[in-house]
Amino acid sequence: MDRYLPEDWILPALDDGNRDFFTSGRLALQRCVECGTVQHPPEDVCRSCQSQRLEAAEAEGNGRIYSFSIVHHPLGPKLAGSVPYNVALIQLDDHPHVRIVGNVCDPDEGPLEIGQRVRAVWTTVPDPHSDEPLRLPQWVRGEPAGPQAE
Amino acid sequence: MHGRTAVAGVGESRYYRRGAADETEFQLACIAIRNAVEDAGLKLSDVDGIVSFMDRDRNHPARLGAALGTGKLNFTGQAWGGGGNLGMSTLMIADGALTAGYAECVVIFRALAQGQFGRFGRAPAVARAAGEQAYLMPFGVAAPVVRNALMVRRYMHEHGIGQEALAEIALAAYAHAQHNPRAVRYGHPLTREDYHASRWIAEPFHLFDCCQENDGAAAIVMTTAERARDLAKPPVYLRAAAAGMERWGGVPAFNEPSFPNGRYWHIGEKLWERAGAGPADVDVAQFYENFSGTTLMAISDIGFAPADGIEDFVSGGNIQWPDGDLPINTSGGNLAEAYIHGFQAVNEGVRQVRGDSTCQVPDVELSLVVSGPGTPPGSAALFSREP
Ligand SMILES: [Zn+2]
Repeated sequence: MDRYLPEDWILPALDDGNRDFFTSGRLALQRCVECGTVQHPPEDVCRSCQSQRLEAAEAEGNGRIYSFSIVHHPLGPKLAGSVPYNVALIQLDDHPHVRIVGNVCDPDEGPLEIGQRVRAVWTTVPDPHSDEPLRLPQWVRGEPAGPQAE
Repeated sequence: MHGRTAVAGVGESRYYRRGAADETEFQLACIAIRNAVEDAGLKLSDVDGIVSFMDRDRNHPARLGAALGTGKLNFTGQAWGGGGNLGMSTLMIADGALTAGYAECVVIFRALAQGQFGRFGRAPAVARAAGEQAYLMPFGVAAPVVRNALMVRRYMHEHGIGQEALAEIALAAYAHAQHNPRAVRYGHPLTREDYHASRWIAEPFHLFDCCQENDGAAAIVMTTAERARDLAKPPVYLRAAAAGMERWGGVPAFNEPSFPNGRYWHIGEKLWERAGAGPADVDVAQFYENFSGTTLMAISDIGFAPADGIEDFVSGGNIQWPDGDLPINTSGGNLAEAYIHGFQAVNEGVRQVRGDSTCQVPDVELSLVVSGPGTPPGSAALFSREP
């Protein structure tokens, strides 16, 4: 699937904490080895018990629209051809305290509403600084699916 | 606290549309500080403390102190984090320095030249976004307006709040600005029809739900209550102040447990406890409106009305001068006076106690100024005529 926003729009700067989330093609969260808390965005310590023993956790990629906005005003020249675009906040089914920011890229499914079911799909974007491409989560409406679609 | 310190003077530069100022941001800061010191009947050489806020403030105290010819600096400080939401924390810092005896005469200011240094309403010209922004900007949450839109949309959904509630915040600001020649939107009245007809920026925000982008500066002088009583203007006492955030209120990217509500419950509790007063005692209030919808959250969370009743509270002229029970943003606020990161609201809150406002509420005893609840921590200050 193509990137929802323009190819040359802002990309994430990778660091050790977020690399999985933006390159693995999985909805990578962070779990505390000591207390089991799953947290997002990742942090250098567990926000519950302050342990620094943190491991990867994975969400299934199914959720619901928790909030959204339709952005009409281009916030920069590169977005001039993209407005109006949507931004949605997705609440995950399997980790309901986690909310992920993304775009719902299925314009044929009608207007966005809070509570609609969505699932993650992935867009591959070349990384100008690396041979390894970035893989960004995007969202389409529909019932939970098994393996995440490309 | 409890009236041991007071605001002795207020000052500002002229407020401009962004890019319209002839002065640099530093010059605007100097003008506002000079005006505040003069308003107090003090000399620049009396100033021995400088406080500001905003992590990236460019007007460093050493440069300011040198340019202004202040006295020996005994104290400098800056409120940390929070953007415009932490503006009232500066008064807590000054109050602490003054009551501890570390300084005798502290200026607090904020200067902002969005024409000179870049606009809050535009995405930064970067190819990569780091930290929290990595989870936001690549998906188009590229300026505060989108971030606040996501928060307010959910708040409206949870509490059955309609677009008219947002309109009321904008209409009050514009109505009040028509009395205030300092206001950038003076001479530009806004009707309900204009509001609804204005273009969307990021739903649920129309153009008039968004603060302006301005060039300007605002400043105050604080000193001890004893000293303030001997100066040019009647002292305006700092009755109480509070700042902070809910536990885990700072989890990034919309993952704080208290999302989407404002984070004022505990700020309100602390403020009213320290003041020995409650929301019903407040005569007039200034609320930071980076966006109309977050102002609704702040009004509710600090204790004026439950979220489910906030639309009723702001409707029917209740927040408009002269007839409303709680006139808010009586100089025009960030929407219609100027966006000086909310600090111009302190000047107005002080003027209301002195009796100098262009939308003067009669016999003000308690005047509230609230910043937030966008980026935590947030803050609030309560001014009083009596210590
Ligand atoms: Zn833990």
